[in-house]
Amino acid sequence: MPSIVTANDLRSGAVVYLTGAGGWVCDLPHATVVDGADALKGLEALALASVERNEVTAVYAFDVRLVEGLPEPVSVRERIRAAHAPTV
Amino acid sequence: MYRYDAFDQGFVAERASQFRDQVSRRLAGDLTEEQFKPLRLQNGLYLQLHAYMLRVAVPYGVLSGGQLRRLAVIARRWDRGLGHFTTRQNIQFNWIKLEDTPDIIDALAEVGMHAIQTSGNCIRNVTADPDAGVAVDEIEDPRVWAEAMRQWSTIHPEFTFMPRKFKIAISGALEDRAAVLFHDVGLRIVKGKGGATGFRVYVGGGQGRTPYVAQEIAAFVPRDEILSYLEAIMRVYNMHGRRDNIYKARIKILVNALGIDEFRRQVEAEWATLDKAAINLPAAELARIAEHFAAKPLVKHPAKAPKVEARRKSDAAFARWMRLNVLPHRVPGYAIVNISLKEPGMIPGDISADQMETVAELAERFGGDELRVTYQQNLVLPTVAVGDLDTVYDALIEAALATANTELITDIIACPGLDYCNLANARSIGIAQDIAKRFADPEKAEAIGPLRLNISGCINACGHHHAGNIGILGVDKKGTEHYQITLGGSPKDDAEVGDIVGPSFTAEALPGAVETVVATYLERRLTQSETFLTAYRRLGKLPFREALYGPEKPRRAAASELEIANV
Ligand code: SF4
Repeated sequence: MPSIVTANDLRSGAVVYLTGAGGWVCDLPHATVVDGADALKGLEALALASVERNEVTAVYAFDVRLVEGLPEPVSVRERIRAAHAPTV
Repeated sequence: MYRYDAFDQGFVAERASQFRDQVSRRLAGDLTEEQFKPLRLQNGLYLQLHAYMLRVAVPYGVLSGGQLRRLAVIARRWDRGLGHFTTRQNIQFNWIKLEDTPDIIDALAEVGMHAIQTSGNCIRNVTADPDAGVAVDEIEDPRVWAEAMRQWSTIHPEFTFMPRKFKIAISGALEDRAAVLFHDVGLRIVKGKGGATGFRVYVGGGQGRTPYVAQEIAAFVPRDEILSYLEAIMRVYNMHGRRDNIYKARIKILVNALGIDEFRRQVEAEWATLDKAAINLPAAELARIAEHFAAKPLVKHPAKAPKVEARRKSDAAFARWMRLNVLPHRVPGYAIVNISLKEPGMIPGDISADQMETVAELAERFGGDELRVTYQQNLVLPTVAVGDLDTVYDALIEAALATANTELITDIIACPGLDYCNLANARSIGIAQDIAKRFADPEKAEAIGPLRLNISGCINACGHHHAGNIGILGVDKKGTEHYQITLGGSPKDDAEVGDIVGPSFTAEALPGAVETVVATYLERRLTQSETFLTAYRRLGKLPFREALYGPEKPRRAAASELEIANV
């Protein structure tokens, strides 16, 4: 299943998503979607380097589905995080 | 209320400056997250779904107007203008930035507040009866002892790295309004022989994955010896508590593994070895603390105020608020006012900065500058002259805080759930809102009578679902949010853990299921004064189960049980 790497920005705690260039973005559609273990490993290495630079914390990958080319988180939890807001 | 002396103030200021240094070292990269995490947690700072969350301590639920004003400043300046009161009588801010926390902690320290003992495996903030000092049924003011325990437990080196967190609750009244039987240690102030007061001590209560009602370990510990007795309990727990398994680490597991008699024997043996005089609170210190809580002299008022009585007759909504949210005070002519943070459709326990300021002003003008937070996520003005009740009510209406629903089905306890919490399985706030809206008609809610409905977003049970007359637990069923209903729980003197009624419901189906449960009760109650809980205890689970799932068939029952085991 395709996946995206996420974290929280160290200073603000905000939800961020990794791009293939090693930077972090707030908008889920701008994140880099990878499919397959090797591609994910590559992203995770970038994320780890960012952790070492004290830019982010709590890094992990989560599953997404592609809907008309755009990533949509599979879990409710990640949908709520991606909205940067509670649902109430 | 207790006012910090130079020692307390110095300690809190020192902690604030240490934390400032820790944060700056983290931001500079001198501390890794692994090194920093225990430090931030010792200062109440969690990382949640969207941001950091700061949990500020409100020791035993007591706040001054000035402190609430400061919380409003924090909400406005560093959060999104909101605070959320919790079931531990604390307040959480959900949108905090790490880089702002040193300034927030300083702002708290200036008004004698902090975020210590709101996280980690220490003795957490002691909770107490929100009506302490003013309740008509009080034997002795529990705040004095809660404050003594705060001082005893704060950064106590032996109790800072325990197997798990440790929660103590105290009630000094005949009626338990602090859910003491659902705490690691529950304390009831009682009168002993000759009228001297002491503590009845309960141990091993708690909710979470393995809920237990606490058991009595001592019928009477003289009050002057309570600190050393508690220390003996802590020692036995610290020695034998399961550090190898987080799910078995709470004292309730130890008490139930050893049995209460063996646990008691070990505590007494330990107690006998302690240098009690060195641990117990010296009489002079007790007197010093007690002085802070001495009742202020109140100007005498008649028990009833004519203008309030007239308003009661002419204004049904005011009369309802008086009936439900206003309680008798130990001094005639005064009242205890419950401020509901449970307007149907709103987020239980949430309060805006503007509302905080309104309440602070009411406390300052009409309430002797004192406020309480309840574990049901409401606020209390503990001392209001009866002649001021209409003025207070009108100000509360202005601030959308005059909902009259204390202890009714819409007075829902709900944890933040999956909208904020990192550990959640399911959302709880939206569910609380949906249910409250179904019962929003105040007449309907009042006709149902006292009914505790509690919601947790996961088995950690911060929303006290086990203790709800109707409890709702969010579970994850193959990636979708489902909700399990428990019935018959109670947090009071007749404490009980609720029974799971059957298979879980989807979020869409749940409010209807709750309506079915309530309708079943209404159809079958013997009289209007038979409460939901009493009726449930008389009727048992079956009629509710049949109303929810259809007539019982042995095979179907077996299948449902299987499903329960799988959620
Ligand atoms: S009960 Fe679970 S979801 Fe709710 S606040 Fe506690 S840990 Fe979070």
